[in-house]
Amino acid sequence: MPSVAPSTFAGTANVIAVIVLLTEFAMLRAPLLRSQVRLYAFQSLVVTALAVFVAATRHIDSLYVLAALSFTLKVIIVPRVVTRLLSRANVSLAGNSSLGVATMTLIAIAISVFGFFSVGALNLRSPVLPEAALAVSVGVILVAFVLIILRSDVVSQAVGFFSLENGVSMASLVVASGLPLIIDVAFLFDLMVAVVVFGVLMRIHHARNRTLSTEPLDQLRG
Amino acid sequence: MTEVELAPAVIQALQDVTIALGAPLVSGAVATIEARLQGRRGPRVLQPYYDLIKLFQKETVVPEGSSWVFLGAPIVAFASYLIVPLLIPVLTTYGLPLGYMGDILGGGFVLALAGFVVALAATESGAPYAQLGASRAMTFGALIEPTILFVVFAVGIITSTDLPYALAASLRTGSSEIVRPAHVLAAVAFFLVVLADTGRVPVETHSGTLEFGMIDEGRVLEHSGAPFALLKWGSAMKQLILYTILIDVFLAPWGLAASQALGPVLFAIPALLVKAIAVGTIFAFIDNSFSKLRLFKITEFLAAAFALAAMAVLIFYLGGG
Repeated sequence: MPSVAPSTFAGTANVIAVIVLLTEFAMLRAPLLRSQVRLYAFQSLVVTALAVFVAATRHIDSLYVLAALSFTLKVIIVPRVVTRLLSRANVSLAGNSSLGVATMTLIAIAISVFGFFSVGALNLRSPVLPEAALAVSVGVILVAFVLIILRSDVVSQAVGFFSLENGVSMASLVVASGLPLIIDVAFLFDLMVAVVVFGVLMRIHHARNRTLSTEPLDQLRG
Repeated sequence: MTEVELAPAVIQALQDVTIALGAPLVSGAVATIEARLQGRRGPRVLQPYYDLIKLFQKETVVPEGSSWVFLGAPIVAFASYLIVPLLIPVLTTYGLPLGYMGDILGGGFVLALAGFVVALAATESGAPYAQLGASRAMTFGALIEPTILFVVFAVGIITSTDLPYALAASLRTGSSEIVRPAHVLAAVAFFLVVLADTGRVPVETHSGTLEFGMIDEGRVLEHSGAPFALLKWGSAMKQLILYTILIDVFLAPWGLAASQALGPVLFAIPALLVKAIAVGTIFAFIDNSFSKLRLFKITEFLAAAFALAAMAVLIFYLGGG
């Protein structure tokens, strides 16, 4: 018996969620720091699109505000700030990561499978978005961890952290899109703090070591 | 007035004829469009036909010490490319009598047989570049295989069959089938597979003359005359076959004939060729906008395709269909 397709709404929402996850995979391989930041901007744009899509089809007006906020902050301001920091550091290529890209991709697939099935075991139901989108956003969070752990340059780690927030905000869209706006804004505020902290870290690291790679840190001895 | 109905066998033969005679046209049209994108005038659209005619009239030179395998391979490969169009929806939405003799995997095996005999002939020739091309083609073929398998799994899950006709039929039932993630992901993964299998950037530059960068092209360097014409023709047919699967199974199974009437069947032929040229234009555009990957970076590209295909199957088990 052929399987029944989900509704057009659920299908579209799932596809958008999966695009966010695939952008996370693309970040694993991006060799240029600049393209890493661009990927983050693109991913944020897709999350914003998901918010607009949910707002439009489910008539939740507060989501429009959230979408506008996250667009200005995550698609325009944060990438701009990071790009400016990068242009001062004058480094364009990320250093070698500890593993090859194909290996990283396979690890990330395995880990997101783990995430998928653990969320599946929870048996959550959402009135707004299909639950598959929740599993995918957990996948985004886990792959962001993989990115932070396996890439050995400060920018990838910072971008990994920012995209973690994208995963979280996608999850909050799924489970609780009726969430009071103030909580979503608090998430965004957290992101602002993270950007400032990572900006300072990046600059100090670059000033001390003349590189954005974290390899010099491995040689520290107590 | 009653419409003229065609016998299934005639339609089946028409599928083969369309692929065989249309393939050089599609190659020529895509080459012209590609040249225009690069600001060149490019060859005539019909150039591949003239090339084939010229090659068929030339003498055949065989490397010293090679056996019948070298001469037999182009014929077997060409025959394989004639068999595959019987299995896939080229002109009709319904399965033709011989359409059920193999499923997607069956078609894949026949295509693999063609690749295998060509590689065998390349090894037989003893020429270093041909062998280099053959060994590379086999290596990357093996790496593409998992992606194809997962695409087939995705198709199998969606339709509960492994017939290409069934997926095309379920696609036409409505928009919810088109946007379902399993289908979108499998389609994109297959798109990347076609990109790799037709020897396009980022895997291979198809117009290059440098042997070190060659994969598929390198294998046929030692052939000449009529066998070479068959190989060239075959690779154009392989390209059109892959385009046809991409179009009629995954992307746009519209314009196919739903009945055996003469009109719709005849309409399906130009419809397919136009759609194939449109897809070829997309490929030409990709060709112009990206650079070729280093040989050892091709695994990254294939890993990306595999990630997409694996995700297509996974998302289904998540309940996201």
